Order: sequence, then structure tokens, then C-alpha cells
Amino acid sequence: MNTAEDTLTFNRPTASMAHLELKDVSIGFGPEGNRTEVLSGVNLKVEQNEFIAVIGFSGSGKSTLVSLMAGLQRPDSGSVLLHGTEVTKPGPNLGIVFQNYSLLPWLSVYGNIELAVKQAFKDQSSSERREHIERYIEMVSLTAAREKKPGELSGGMRQRVSLARTLAMQPEILLMDEPLSALDALTRANLQDELVRIWEEDKRTVVLITNDVDEAVLLADKIVPLTTGPGATLSEPFQVTLDRPRDRTTLNTNPRYKALRNEIIHYMTQMNKESKALRVDNGLEMPDIEPIDFSAA
Amino acid sequence: MKFKILKAIDVAGLQMLDPVVRLFYGETPREQLRKIVLFIVIPVLTIILSVLLWSYLAPRHTTKAGEVPTPGVVLDAARGIQQFHTWENQKADDFLLTGEARQNALAAVDTRIAELTPLSVAAAASVEEAKATQQAYREKYATPLEAEYKQLRNDLKAKEDSQEEALIAEADTLGVNDVAARQAYLKKVAAFDAMEEANKETLRAFKDKIDAVYSEKFPVLEAAQTTYNTIEAELQYLSKRRDYLTADNQELKIASAQIELKELETGFLSATTGKETFKAAERMLKKQESIDRIATSEYSRPWTFPRQIWRSLACVFLGFFIATAIAIPLGIFCGLSRVFMAALTPFIALFKPVSPIVWLPIIFIIVGGFISDPDVSMFHPAFLSSAITVALCSLWPTLVNTALGVASVDKDHINVARVLRLGLVSRLFKIVLPSALPLIFAGLRISLGVGWMVLIAAELLSSSEGIGKFTWDMFNNGSSESFAQMFVVVFVVGIVGLVLDRIMIVFQRLVSFDGAPTAL
Repeated sequence: MNTAEDTLTFNRPTASMAHLELKDVSIGFGPEGNRTEVLSGVNLKVEQNEFIAVIGFSGSGKSTLVSLMAGLQRPDSGSVLLHGTEVTKPGPNLGIVFQNYSLLPWLSVYGNIELAVKQAFKDQSSSERREHIERYIEMVSLTAAREKKPGELSGGMRQRVSLARTLAMQPEILLMDEPLSALDALTRANLQDELVRIWEEDKRTVVLITNDVDEAVLLADKIVPLTTGPGATLSEPFQVTLDRPRDRTTLNTNPRYKALRNEIIHYMTQMNKESKALRVDNGLEMPDIEPIDFSAA
Repeated sequence: MKFKILKAIDVAGLQMLDPVVRLFYGETPREQLRKIVLFIVIPVLTIILSVLLWSYLAPRHTTKAGEVPTPGVVLDAARGIQQFHTWENQKADDFLLTGEARQNALAAVDTRIAELTPLSVAAAASVEEAKATQQAYREKYATPLEAEYKQLRNDLKAKEDSQEEALIAEADTLGVNDVAARQAYLKKVAAFDAMEEANKETLRAFKDKIDAVYSEKFPVLEAAQTTYNTIEAELQYLSKRRDYLTADNQELKIASAQIELKELETGFLSATTGKETFKAAERMLKKQESIDRIATSEYSRPWTFPRQIWRSLACVFLGFFIATAIAIPLGIFCGLSRVFMAALTPFIALFKPVSPIVWLPIIFIIVGGFISDPDVSMFHPAFLSSAITVALCSLWPTLVNTALGVASVDKDHINVARVLRLGLVSRLFKIVLPSALPLIFAGLRISLGVGWMVLIAAELLSSSEGIGKFTWDMFNNGSSESFAQMFVVVFVVGIVGLVLDRIMIVFQRLVSFDGAPTAL
């Protein structure tokens, strides 16, 4: 079967080498002199078929991190390696699911996926291609909405289309940039279950960016907190050792789940407080003056 | 079904019908009735009101081309235009009729002439009668007044003459250098002059009274005259038709020429001397040639107004097509490349405000340089110049909108293209153009509107057959009828422009994917 590998050249994976690796990655914005470091010294190793969740506060540089991994942006220093080869440009092997779906509004559900599949698998015959597309539409349970335009779909359905489009390219790495954050809580829970099911069905390396601790614990093998910016970096990962498949209803009563969840939340809130405290220290130095009460004299 | 109709109405931009459909399906009647009042009843009322206001005001302003036409007169003018068109088409058909069809048409024409002739005579008689009444009226009221006027004028004249003589006589008695006496005399002369002036004024007032009698309107006479003119016009048309069905008919002309040819042929065959034979041969060949010419000839129809409308439409679409063919590719390049945009910006800024009146003469000369013989060229130079002027004035909105649309493609969509590694061409056709299409069509819609406005001016100036030229001809004609026909032009131009705009709205809706309502 054709995969994305046929169209792209890179080194075969070796046992010792991490699947995706970030080495000392730094990136910033703004002109010289008024520069804001977004990420500095980020190191991360993702193994084959591992599900990693990167968790962080909003504005901490999560989306920038995912852009770097997808090759949409290049780091100022350090490198992003896929099988030891530097990622220099985006491609179908680095599948990305955008936060705001990024569906083409003039194409139907089928058309959107078709565009991606045509590009990723250029040698498919038309019947093979149709079958391929149908399979992924089926996977995200949208067969009924096949000919609908994105404008006619709900937010949850749109994100499913976006997921199906990315999965249909059969990327080596699936990068998800807060895919569920724009959805309401019920739809989100629904799609989380769907994500678990799809991942079980179609195992691949996943990097999920999220701001939801529950979501991270539910889905990931490893949770990496992103410290608050500017100059954010990744801290020590939390291993999630809960057995799969994880059931959201029983999970709530699982003591290991509770402990891990609390630990992460505590860590994140602590970090937030620290950074706030730090920020005050780094601010302007206040003159050491006190008001004098003239009325006493 | 209901929603299909509503969707179709929405796409066609006929939202005013929306409440009617909803009311028909019994949806919230109060609300729908309120909307009907707002979208249909109020506009209809304003139209009626303005027509009434127009009918009231128009006859109160008289110009050198007669009264400003009232709605009724304009409607008559429109009918007149239509009738002229039908008549001319009928004549063109008659010219080509053959055999039995021609005979039948001829019979119908003769019947109609027979019908009309007595009517014409009767109408002429009633005109005469009305004229006699008018004459009698004038004699009764104007003649005594005129006599009185003459009498008055003579009286005043005599008075003036005698006073003048008296003044001259008095002047003789004035002592030289007698300042006081001469001052008094000067006052007397001034009084005399004032009296003369007053007499003139009296006479003028009197004359006006007489004129009022003469310019008194005779509706009976006018009506009779109109009836007579109408009948006469149709009779004239019928007699022309008769000509085209008989002597001037193509078939008959050929037939009579064939007979002449036959005679020439016998002459040629029986000719004995060399000189005679040669001459006969030449004559025969010439006849043959003229027969061929008649066979391919057509009735030369004048440019009637409906034909001019079609011609204008053809011209505006040619111009619009040229504008689109230039503006969209340029706009795409501008949107894609900042360098290209920077290079073009001064030209856009400089040429955008240039009026069609400036472009046209320049283009006329340039086009004239390319087309030396207007008769053999595919396009008439005036037509082509008008179309190019339309193109030059209307390409800017499309160009600017295309550039904007292409430059402002959603960043996420560009990221999708990057992830998919789309090549330049498929990126352009699969991402950039579809996403710019609504803006491009918005630009095209503005362009077509501008083009239609520019076209009328261009035709007027270049004398390219079309609505503009019709208006100019009517202006130069200067009769009250052509004044009314100019009003017809206003409505025709408005309605055609409206229809063109609606068509563009439909296209714009069809390509817009975001469901955003298009500005109306």
C-alpha cells in the first residue's frame, strides 16, 4: 500500500533514534532591541506511536511549538528532527489539525479530504482514492454529511472533517493544535472518546497541544507541561501509566487518575503563581518612598 | 418546497418577495404583512406619488422644445418608438416575401388602406371644421380688438406728433443762454419722453390681450389633428409597404430583371456585326451582375431604438469582457507579488479617475489608425472605441478587488496549502482563486455598472449606434416628441442597468461560500 513515505525521502527509523526530536529549539518575534522570546531551549523526544500531550496556559507559545514541529515555522536556533533529519518545510508526513479547522469553505466534506488525499497519494487510482476517502469519512462518522459544505456543519463536525483530512494523509506524526478548545464541553467529551477510538484503531505518533488537564490525562501516554512565557520551555514530563482503554466514567473514581490529575494541576498553578511573582520582580524598580502624614505634625 | 422557493428568491436577490411566499404558507401573518407593507407597499406608493408629482409639475415648465412631457406623453413616445420598430421590421420582411405570402400580405395591406382612406377623409374634414371654429372664434374676439388697437395706436401717435411740434415751436422762442427758461424746457421734454414710453406700454398691454386670444388652445382641433396625423402616418406606412410588396419587392425586381436579361440574350444571339455582339455581351453580363446584387441585398433597416439597445448591450459586454480579461490576471499578479503591486500602484492611482470623455477621443484616433476601411472591418471603429473606453473605465474595480481578494487569502488556508505541498499552479487554482472569487465577483459587478454608465456617454460622443447616439439624435432633433423620447431613454437605461446588476448579484451569490448576504 502506498503511504506518505513513498513520496517523501527521509532516513528509515532506527531503534535508538527518537521519532521526532526537538533540540534546544528557540524562537522569538519582533525586531532587534524589542524582541520577545517565545520559546527558548525546548527539548523533546517523541517515540514511535507515542501519544504526547503538551499542556500550557494560553499565550505560552503552544501554537508556535506546533508550527515548529509541523515545519510551518523555522526555529531561530536549535533544530527539529524527524528520524534524525531536520524538518525544513511542512509536508503531508507531518499532519497537523488546526485549532480553527482550516477547512476550505467552498469544498464539500469529501472535497476537502479529496484535496489532501490527492496530494499525499498521487499514484492512487480513482476507485482506490474514493475508497480511501470514504474510509476516513466513515472513521469520523460523517458519511451522512459527505456532500455538505463546512458552513453547514457544526463546530464538532468541522473538527472531525479536519481530523479526517489529516488522518487520511496517513501522516507519520499527527500534530493537534488545541483541536477541541473551540468546542462546547459535551461535544468535546464526545470527540475525545472518538480520538481515543481512532487512535486505538489507527496507532500513530501523536502530539496533542491542549490547555485541558483532564483531556491530557485521558488521552496521553506522557504529559509535558510548557512553562509560562516569554521564553517558555518544556519541563519534566509526567508519565501517565493508566491502563488503556480508559473509560471517562470510571476514571473519575480511579485514585491514580485523581492523584496524577491533582499533581499536574498543582504543578501548573504553582508555576503560574511563580511566573506572576517573577514578573513583578522583573518589572520596574519602584522608588523606596513612603507617604508622610503631615496632619500629625 | 417552501424553503427551496425562499432560497431561490434569496439567490436571485428578490428578497421583497420573501414575505409574500411566507404569507402564502401561513407563516406569522402579522409579521409578514408588516414586511410586505415595508418592502412592497411603500415603494409602490412612492412610485405612484412621484408619477403624480411629475404629471403636476411637467406642464408648468415650458422649454423651447415644448412642454416638459408628462408621464402620459412619455408613454406615448415609448409606444411610438415601438411602433416605428415594428413597422420597419415589417417593411424588411415585406421586401423578402415571395409568392403567395406576398399576395396575401398585399391583400391585407390593400384592405387596411381601403379601411383607412374614408377615415382619413373624415379626419381631414373634422380638422377643417375645427379650424373653421377657431377662425370664427378669432374673428369674433380678436378682430374687434385689433380694430380698437389700430384706433388707439393712431390716436396716441397723433397726440405725440402734435405735442412734439408744440415743443419744437416753443424751442424757437427760447432766449440764448437763458438758463432758467432752458432748464424748464428740458423738464418738458423729459415729460414728453415719459409720456411716449407710457403710450408704448399701453399699446404692448393691448397687444398681449390680442395674442392671448390667438394662443387660446383648441383641444378639439388638437385632438382632430392628432387623429388625422396618426391615420396619415399609417397610410404612408401602408403605401410604403405596398411598394415593398410590389415594385420594390426583391422577388419581383429579380423577375423583371430576368425578363430584361432574356431580351438582352435574344439581342445578343441575333447580333450580326462584331461591334454589336460585343456591346450586347457586355450589357448582358452587367444585367446578370445586377441580378446577383439584388438577390443578396436586404432592406436597409434604420437603427430603431430596440436595435440600438441590443447594440449597446453588445458593446458593453465586449468592453466588460476586455476589462475582465485584463483586470483579473493583472489583479492576481498584484495580489501574489508585492513587487508587481508596487509597480502597478501608480498606474492604477493615475488612470482610475480619468473620465471616459477623455479616453474616448484618444482611443478613437488610435483605433482609427488600425482600421483604415470601416466597411470591411469586423467591428465598426466607433463601436470598438466605445467598447475599449468602457473597458478602460470599468477594469479598475475588478483589478483592485481581485488583488485584494488574492492578497487576503486566509492564513490558515495558506498553511493548508503548505502542509499539502501544493505547487504554485494548484495553490492558485485550488486555494487562492476560490477564496478570492466572492471579492472578484463583487468587483465585476461594480465594473459592469460603471461600464454601462460609461457606455452611454461614449456612444454619445463617438456616434456609435446605441442608446447614447439615440439620445444625442433626439437632442439635436429638438421636437417635443423627441424630448419625450429622451425620457423614455432614462427609464430604459435604468431598467437595463438594474437587470445587469441583478444578474451579477446572482453570480456573486452563487460563488460566495460564506453565506454572507451580498450588499444590495
